[in-house]
Amino acid sequence: MARPAVRIQVVEFGVLVGLALLVGRAVQVQILHGRRWAEEAQAQRTERIVLQARRGALYDRHGTPLAVTQETYHVGIAPNELRDPTADGALISRRLGLTAGAWQLALRRRYAYFAGPYSALEVQPLRSVRGVHLEPVLNRFYPDPAVARATIGRLGDDGLGASGLERTLDSLLAGRAGAAVVLKDRAGREYESPARVIAPPVPGLDVVLTLDAELQEIAQRALDDALRRMDADGGDVVMLDPGTGEVLALASRQRDGSARPSAFTDTFEPGSLAKIFAAAALLSLRRVSPTDRVSGEGGKWRVLGRTITDDDPQPSLTMADAIRVSSNIAIAKFAARLTPEEQYAMLRDFGFGALTGIEFPAEATGRLRPPSEWTRPSAASLAMGYELSVTPIQVAMAYGALANDGLLLEPTLIREVRSAGGGGGGGGGVRYRHRPEPVRRVVSREVAAALRSMLRGVVERGTGTEAALTNFPVAAKTGTARRVVNGRYAAGQYTASFAALFPADQPQLVLVVKIDNPHKGSYFAAQTAAPVTRSMLEQALAARTVALDRARLSTAAPRAAAAPVDDDGGLVPYVVPWPYQPDSAGVGPRRAVPDVAGFGMREAVRALHRRGFRVALRGWGVAEHTWPAAGDSAAAGSMVTLFADPHAGDRVRARGAAPPRRGARP
Amino acid sequence: MARAKGRHWVALWLVAFLVTTWLVYARQTAAIHAARELGDLRGRRANLDGHRADLERRIRAAESRAVLVPRAQARLGLHLPSDSEIVLVPAPSGSR
Repeated sequence: MARPAVRIQVVEFGVLVGLALLVGRAVQVQILHGRRWAEEAQAQRTERIVLQARRGALYDRHGTPLAVTQETYHVGIAPNELRDPTADGALISRRLGLTAGAWQLALRRRYAYFAGPYSALEVQPLRSVRGVHLEPVLNRFYPDPAVARATIGRLGDDGLGASGLERTLDSLLAGRAGAAVVLKDRAGREYESPARVIAPPVPGLDVVLTLDAELQEIAQRALDDALRRMDADGGDVVMLDPGTGEVLALASRQRDGSARPSAFTDTFEPGSLAKIFAAAALLSLRRVSPTDRVSGEGGKWRVLGRTITDDDPQPSLTMADAIRVSSNIAIAKFAARLTPEEQYAMLRDFGFGALTGIEFPAEATGRLRPPSEWTRPSAASLAMGYELSVTPIQVAMAYGALANDGLLLEPTLIREVRSAGGGGGGGGGVRYRHRPEPVRRVVSREVAAALRSMLRGVVERGTGTEAALTNFPVAAKTGTARRVVNGRYAAGQYTASFAALFPADQPQLVLVVKIDNPHKGSYFAAQTAAPVTRSMLEQALAARTVALDRARLSTAAPRAAAAPVDDDGGLVPYVVPWPYQPDSAGVGPRRAVPDVAGFGMREAVRALHRRGFRVALRGWGVAEHTWPAAGDSAAAGSMVTLFADPHAGDRVRARGAAPPRRGARP
Repeated sequence: MARAKGRHWVALWLVAFLVTTWLVYARQTAAIHAARELGDLRGRRANLDGHRADLERRIRAAESRAVLVPRAQARLGLHLPSDSEIVLVPAPSGSR
């Protein structure tokens, strides 16, 4: 047996070896593999989560939200954590809209998950229920889903823009997701602890569109009504501001109720809408003078083996007459004075056969063949609007060039881009603001004015009289063209279209209405698309917030401005925007305040308006007196306070003046 | 001044340890409390946002032409004016 000293040495050696192994292992774990173990430990007790970025909102030009992002929730239920499964179950089922069977199924699971998404309002009562776990998730919300649905587009399942402007503007709207680290327990449940934010989410930018929600609603309703009334296959309405190229409203509808963006993507032969562009070339190149006349050929003309007809035969026509009555024969004869290259160049300059450049993910170029591909009748066909296919947005921009003194602009749907949180009403910094983007000068100022004058004749005495307004001049052109179905003209199928400038002088609005294949009643644009245009203009005039510069509009109503003060036809000296903002209109002439005592409120206000006064009401019932008093003079446009009282009629009679009969003029 | 003895050091270290531990505990508790409060406030804000959006949607629906025009026609006997019925009032001079 070894001596004790030896045994102690052995033990000491053993301990030393053990310690050395321990230190070695510690070095291995802590130093050599330290990083790996640290990462594993970190991964076990923490979790990196993605912080969703709030997607930017879309607003109309007045700040009305069209698409916003809101927090919604997925709901998880842990049945074993519920305090009172019966009572809690009833509440949860009610809020989540679960059937009794679905709830019983959920109770049998360890953890039931309901993706929803549920709104904050729906889950609010569940916040205090133990065992209910809410998982916030940002969702896109469209306050009025029917408004400009095809234009605005939608998001895909991946949360990225899938169609329309949501897709085009995705890089601006999406923002940048952030990241954070949260603590979790052994079972992987997150601790209720502050997250360590590694990168904060960057919200997307807000975009103010050029669309006017009220005009959009007017356009959609008018189009829906028209399609129903005419039993048509579909249609489009485009409204834009010719001075800026901003698209104010875009409505498209098909027979099946769908609303694909056909104003950008579907082409049609414009028919007589294109006659004005042949006239533009003829006037610009001075190939026609205002007095030049061509024979109407009794309404039927055979040329190049083809017969051209007119619906309204005329003995002879000037260029203006050809546009006014939409004569195929006259425009074909005049167009023969142009070379194919000149005719092609003018159509090309107006933007046909090319993309307009609007910020929409899909757009058709239409078809405009170069002269090398023309046949002998092509020149006449193009002058009449055949052998040419266009989109409604192209037509609107081309007519916009006529309205804009011959300058073609690039259309836009984006008015402003703002930093997040600005909304439409301000607050967020403006990152981009649209400026009119000229494409080219198509015709001179003088030629554009002459063409507008011709278009005005269409509404006053030609094929577009159904679009005429009483107080405002409108310039427009009708177009009725045969439809091409499967590459051939379909018998009895027509596209009725109408392009209008409102008002005719210094136009503020370009409207294009297209009705595809109307079945009921007339198929002519004069009886189909023109009345729709008038209806929309009337509604736009009566609307509160529609984007019309009413001070400028007032100067474009010479007929009304020239009317005598007491003319019942309607006086249009100026128009004030509402809410009222001072504008460039100056002080009007002084006029006598009419005596409206004893009148009903409506008649009294109307009488004062006719004289050109603004009216402030005090009281209700029968008009008693005004301030300034009846007979005093006041500047047109100044405020007249109208005092009324339900018993004023008796007092007026007592003063000796019989109350005027209803509707009498003061 | 007498030098601190070993047990005094131990006591000092113990107190320092306890104070530090208590500080960590208090800080964690406050943070968890704040996180819970933040979560509640976030929930309330989301709820109010949702409520506001719902009200805005209802107001817009009620204000829309599809709702207003038929009601104004049926209940008040109003109609959409033709342009000849729209009386336009002159604006006063440029002063606001």
